[in-house]
Amino acid sequence: MNAARPWPVLAAALSAMLILAVAAGHDWAGPADLLRAATGHDDLRSRLLIDWRLPRVLAAACVGALLGLGGAVFQGVFRNPLAEPYLLGSAGGAALGASVALLVPLGLPQAPLLAMLAFLGAWGATFVVMAIARLAGTVDAAGLLLAGVAVAAVLGALRSFLMLALSDDTVNLQVVLSWSLGGVQTPRWPALAGLMLATLVGLAATLPLARGLDLLGLGDTMAAGFGQDVRGFVDRAVLVGAAVVALAVAFGGLVAFVGLAAPHVARWLVGPLHRALLPAAALVGAILVTAADALARSALPPAEIPLGLVTAVAGGPFFIVLLARQLRP
Amino acid sequence: MTHRSAATTVGLSAQGLGLQRGGTTILADITLSLPATGSVALIGPNGAGKSTLLRALAGLLVPDHGTVRLGDRPVAALPTAERAATIGFLPQHFAPHWDLRVVDLVRLGVERGGTASPDAAATDSVAAVLAAHGLGPLAQRRWSALSGGERARVLLAMVLAVDPPVLIADEPGASLDVRHRIGVVDGLARRGRDRLCIVAMHDLDLAFRAFDRVVLLAGGRLAAAGTAADLFHDRRLDRAFGVDFMRLETPHGRLLQAVARPDDADIGSGRN
Repeated sequence: MNAARPWPVLAAALSAMLILAVAAGHDWAGPADLLRAATGHDDLRSRLLIDWRLPRVLAAACVGALLGLGGAVFQGVFRNPLAEPYLLGSAGGAALGASVALLVPLGLPQAPLLAMLAFLGAWGATFVVMAIARLAGTVDAAGLLLAGVAVAAVLGALRSFLMLALSDDTVNLQVVLSWSLGGVQTPRWPALAGLMLATLVGLAATLPLARGLDLLGLGDTMAAGFGQDVRGFVDRAVLVGAAVVALAVAFGGLVAFVGLAAPHVARWLVGPLHRALLPAAALVGAILVTAADALARSALPPAEIPLGLVTAVAGGPFFIVLLARQLRP
Repeated sequence: MTHRSAATTVGLSAQGLGLQRGGTTILADITLSLPATGSVALIGPNGAGKSTLLRALAGLLVPDHGTVRLGDRPVAALPTAERAATIGFLPQHFAPHWDLRVVDLVRLGVERGGTASPDAAATDSVAAVLAAHGLGPLAQRRWSALSGGERARVLLAMVLAVDPPVLIADEPGASLDVRHRIGVVDGLARRGRDRLCIVAMHDLDLAFRAFDRVVLLAGGRLAAAGTAADLFHDRRLDRAFGVDFMRLETPHGRLLQAVARPDDADIGSGRN
């Protein structure tokens, strides 16, 4: 079930994917181009690769890592391999918060406001889904997913209303729309540094949850018997998970199914213990989104396919297979 | 096993426990004092409140009224890590959500909630627990690849990993065949020689044969409590279970043969 050496394999796969993604585009770069750019040649093509493609590729990897982490945390908290930020409403909540920041003229600096509102949206939506599940006394796959679908639908409607009601000449509706379809913008270097730092902080914030998530996986009774304050831990873990998802959504828009698939692949590679699963899910998420973003840039030149569409088309069938396997008696 | 003097060991006691849920009384005015060592069988008909009482005694559930004390300290006031190390709780059903290896499961039992021990020390104690429960050969097996009997042994090893002075078990081995069930329950009863072990169970013969004391719960109330020998002949047993028992003393122990009362003949027939 487990690969003998999962970490070297993951690291090698990520490196290879990053290089491939830098090369990919409507104008593919060859090994010679990459070598010239890497060795600091100052021609136009090298500058394009270093200043334009590389930051975008790294940003995509960070967004993927955050989505993988968020997915692993949520699957651990809900003890459900079908839990996913996108399906549980937390990504939708983050999107609503971000849309408010983009569309409603609040007169505040937009970047911190967007991150803050995205976090509040993600946390609030997850909390509502969890409250519905607790109220109904159900945490099984179907109940949880239905609650998530209902909440996501309401949040999506609110977001559409905002877009219709508030878009005017001063607001670029196109920006909001393409963002909500999922897509990594090419960041400037300072913004990229911030995102990479945030990704590391996200990893550092989720790792201390590992043992608690393992205990939670034993079931409420065993976890409590082993000295865990189950409710307090779940609330704390959801807070951290929502923050991680909000970061991913703030930088990458709505990207579906990566948070679902990455922890699954990671579980095949390193097993279900969260101390290994969390970093592995981050690596797998980074690989997946880097690949999807490269595909989005290079599949239909000169147009660019929204990233969220690529992951949805690839991830939807994956989810259906998992659902069928879990719901089968 | 280290020897424990009577002065330092702790008993478990309940004072006026009461619990309502949705207008239904689950537990009412339960006062009970259990010694620091001994095996106690908790019996009673379905819905008597056995599971709820066990969870309250284990500090996993806060009753509406009354207090549970470990020695002279209220269980609710114990730090969770200390409570987890002192009172082991063996749940009726256990199905881990992730397919962990036996060694990982036992490790979670060794470390409990808060105590993150150094890696080497934890690995040593995990190996010791695995060996003590004869699980060494299964250490790398995953939960999904274990038989029912093996799962019961793993669960026991997890809960007993820190050798808690008090063990509370809710129908252990209920899903096992008779040989494995008797093995598990007899093992728990034997812990009563130098620990306190409280076990809820449906098998009355096993309760009266293997345990020192029997506590009878009916309708959320304490119907009777005493030594197994005394309670065996108590007519409150018949009243609590709604049957007439024939009591048989055999060379191998006491046996109860239940005889349905004439007015209960309709229970199984589907008529009302």
